[in-house]
Formats: sequence, structure tokens, C-alpha cells
Amino acid sequence: MPSRAFGIALWIALASAVLFLTLPVLALFLRVPPDELVAQLASERAREAIRVSLTTSLVAHALILGFGTPAAYLLATKRFRGRAFVVSLLELPLVLPPAVAGIGLLAAFGRSGLLGEELGALGLSIPFTQLAVVLAVCFVASPFYVRAAIAAFEAIDPRLLDASRTLGADRGRTFRRVALPLAAGGLGAGSTLAFARGLGEFGATIMFAGSLPGRTQTAPLAIYDSLDQDFDVALALGALFVVFSILILLAAKLIPLWTRSASISPFPFARSRST
Amino acid sequence: MIRACAIAVVVAAAVLIAGCGDSDDGPLEVFAASSLRDVAPKVDRAPRYTFAGSDELAAQIRDGAPADVFLSASGTPVQELRAAGLVEAPFVFASNRLVVVVPAANPAGLNAFAELARPGLKLVLGGEGVPIGDYAREALAAAGLEAALENVVSLEQDVKGVLGKVALGEADAGIVYATDVRAAADDVRELAIPDEVQPDVRYYAAVVSAGDVERAAEFVRRLAREEGAGALRAAAFLPVPNRAE
Repeated sequence: MPSRAFGIALWIALASAVLFLTLPVLALFLRVPPDELVAQLASERAREAIRVSLTTSLVAHALILGFGTPAAYLLATKRFRGRAFVVSLLELPLVLPPAVAGIGLLAAFGRSGLLGEELGALGLSIPFTQLAVVLAVCFVASPFYVRAAIAAFEAIDPRLLDASRTLGADRGRTFRRVALPLAAGGLGAGSTLAFARGLGEFGATIMFAGSLPGRTQTAPLAIYDSLDQDFDVALALGALFVVFSILILLAAKLIPLWTRSASISPFPFARSRST
Repeated sequence: MIRACAIAVVVAAAVLIAGCGDSDDGPLEVFAASSLRDVAPKVDRAPRYTFAGSDELAAQIRDGAPADVFLSASGTPVQELRAAGLVEAPFVFASNRLVVVVPAANPAGLNAFAELARPGLKLVLGGEGVPIGDYAREALAAAGLEAALENVVSLEQDVKGVLGKVALGEADAGIVYATDVRAAADDVRELAIPDEVQPDVRYYAAVVSAGDVERAAEFVRRLAREEGAGALRAAAFLPVPNRAE
């Protein structure tokens, strides 16, 4: 009997957790009728915010992939002194409050910041521009990708890379033809998570880039800004984010499964070299 | 059953947080416009203050935030709450003026209000619906400086956001209340805005109907009496214009 009570208690706890976590999400859709939500998304404010968000996120994502992939490959395949420290440095933005990221970006790249004079000499003034949004997104989102990429590259059986080298491929070719395809699942999952985190970026952006509709006001900033006057626009953008987030979660879960089945690895369990 | 489970979580959270001492029987809750941040505690130290843009505070009160008193930097937010029956009759307790602030180093070399329309300037204003933003746009329009709106690089949520961006040296100029300049006197310089384009800035006090009405009324009376008026004057707020509405 006590064992049965325990079982019931577990189910009640689970039901409570699930309901509590899904209710706010559901409430977004219930407060305003669906056709009204769609109509609000067509409003100028919402469209501008979505456009700014997509532009800046895509540019930031290209930078994250372009710099993050080779960096993660190096960290996954080379052991060197201070490697663990470097990995921790790259992960730091993951646990840093976004407001701290914002003030840090201002202190570094602001007009009166550490590099302000050098940037000014180049004719660059970063705060209040879309470049500032891109930098803020890169700062907070890149660790999500880099972490996943390191894990994905580490999961590759090192004998496959060695075989590629003995068969005459140089390091670059081995990276392109062997490592990248084998790590694709993990890279894709990390990439989607980083993209989602970047789209949702708020704190660092509002401090570093300000908030101007059509220029630096991303969708999360537009939600905050609309709260007091256009609550329906805020709800519509919120609902859009929910739909998008569900797609991201699905993608992050499906991409590794789908690429694993296509894996060319002869070994069912890759030997992990991670520490 | 479904509702019961969801409510159980909320009740559990409420019990835990109540155990941590966040009880109802606390100090008076005063929601006040950001520009009152420095002066309000001098009028009365006892209440717990929440400072933000008046429009944002009004939205929070509409959503049931536990305010007892609302001090707004303009009429619109408080009149909307009044129309919804959420606050008692408001009254005007102070007035203010606008000034232009530029960083101490004055990177754009600005010397006058009229220069805000100069192309390429980085101007920061309050957002749409935020009192300091609406007053600033009113002043610019009255002076025929609509071109200055092209220079806006950021629309902030409250006056402290405007002042902060200028004090950090990131923006070339911003429009704030004259009383805000003291808080950043080392980092900013002020340029006057001519009398003839100054908007009619009025601060409203209102008792929130759902709050502790009695204690709230006592606080609001204190604002109008000599002790409150004295603190406001000392902080450079202006007395209530004679033509009260």
C-alpha cells in the first residue's frame, strides 16, 4: 500500500510539472484567437522585428559556424597545455547573465570602451547598429555550438582519421571528407540550439545595441517594448517563438538520429576521447 | 483535475516563498516614474519603491501588480488606469522641464537644442508611450526639429535608459528631465531647451484602489504637504502649475 501511494505521488508530481511548464505556453494561444495572432504578425512592428531578428541571427550564425567549427575541431583533436582552460573560457558566456554580457560588450567595443578608439579610427562605431546585435548574439550563442561541436568531433573514432591520413589525404582533406560528415549530426544539433538561443537573445542586445524598430529591435525586444501598448503584438510574437522553438527541439532531436543511420562508421560505439 | 494540478504547483510555490518572508504585511508599495528615483525616498523612506517608465508601471498595475500608490510622470498612463477603475482620482503634485544632455566630452560638439537635427548625430529618446519620449517628441515638434527623429539610434524604456546611454558616452545626445542631470553630473553636460517649446510636464499621484488605500492616501498627502514639496523643490522639481485641471 505505501508503495502504491509512492507510485501515485510520483504521477502527481509529474502531472504537476508538465502542466505548470505547458500552461504558460498554451495560455499564449488561448488569450487571442488564432486568426488575430496571424493578423498581428502582419503588423509593421512585428514584421520589422522578425526581419531584424532573422538578418542578424543569420549573419551571427555564419560567424559562429565559420569560427566555431575549426576551433572545436582543434580542441577535439589536439591535446595541449591549457586546453581545459581554453574550453572553460569558451563556455563562460553560457553561465554569464546576459546583462553582464551587455555591459562587457559595451566596455570592450563601445565608443568609450577598450577598443573604442581603434575602432573609431577605422570609422567604426558599433553600439546602436545591427553589427552590435550580431556581436551580442555571437557572444551568447556560440558556446552552445562550440560545446556540441567539440563533443561531436571527439566522438569520431580516431582510427578513421588516422586511416584517412595513411591513405594519403592531408589534414585539410581529412577534415572535410571524413571528420565533417561523421560529426554532421552533432554539429547540426548544436547549430540549431545555438541559432535558437541567438534568436531569443535579449539582455545583451538591449544594453549594447539599444532598441530601434527596423534597425536594432529584434523580436524579443519588440515583445518587451509592445507589452504596455500592443499586447496583442507581444502575444503574437510570443506564439511565433513557441512554434519556432518546438521546431528547433524536434530538429535537435531528429538530426542526430537521422545522420546516425547514414553514418559510415564501421564501429557501433565510437570510442570517446573526451575527459 | 488538470486545473488542480497546475494550481497545486502555484500554491506550493506561494507557501515556500511566504516561508521566506515575502509576506503581505510589508511596507507600502509605491510604483514611481524613473525620474523620481532619487527624490522619492527623501519624501518618505519607509515605502518600498519600484521605479520604471510610467507606461510600464501602469501596465503592471493593470496586470495586478501589488502597488498601493502610483506616481506617474504624465497624465496618460494614470488617466487610463482611472478610466478602468483601478486607481482613485489622481492629482498633480509636481512639474519638471526637459533638457538636452550630451556626454561630458561632447563628441559631437553640440552647443544648442536646435543642433539636434544635424545629420549623422546619435540621439537617444524614450520610446513611444514612455512619458520622457513623448514629451521629447513634443518639444522637437514644437521647435520644428522633426528632422532630429532621423537621428534617433535607440528608443529606451525609461528616462534612466536615456541618461545611461549618454553618460556612458555611447550616444551623442539625449533628452531627459532637468532633475535627472544631477545623478550623472560628472558624466554629462546639459544644454537648455527654450521655454517656448517646453512641454507641460506634470507628475500625477494616485492611490491604487486594490492596495492599502488608507496608508496610500497618507503617503500621497505627504507629497503635497510641506515636507514632500520641500524635498521635491530641493531636487529641482518645479511646483505645480497654477492652472491645475
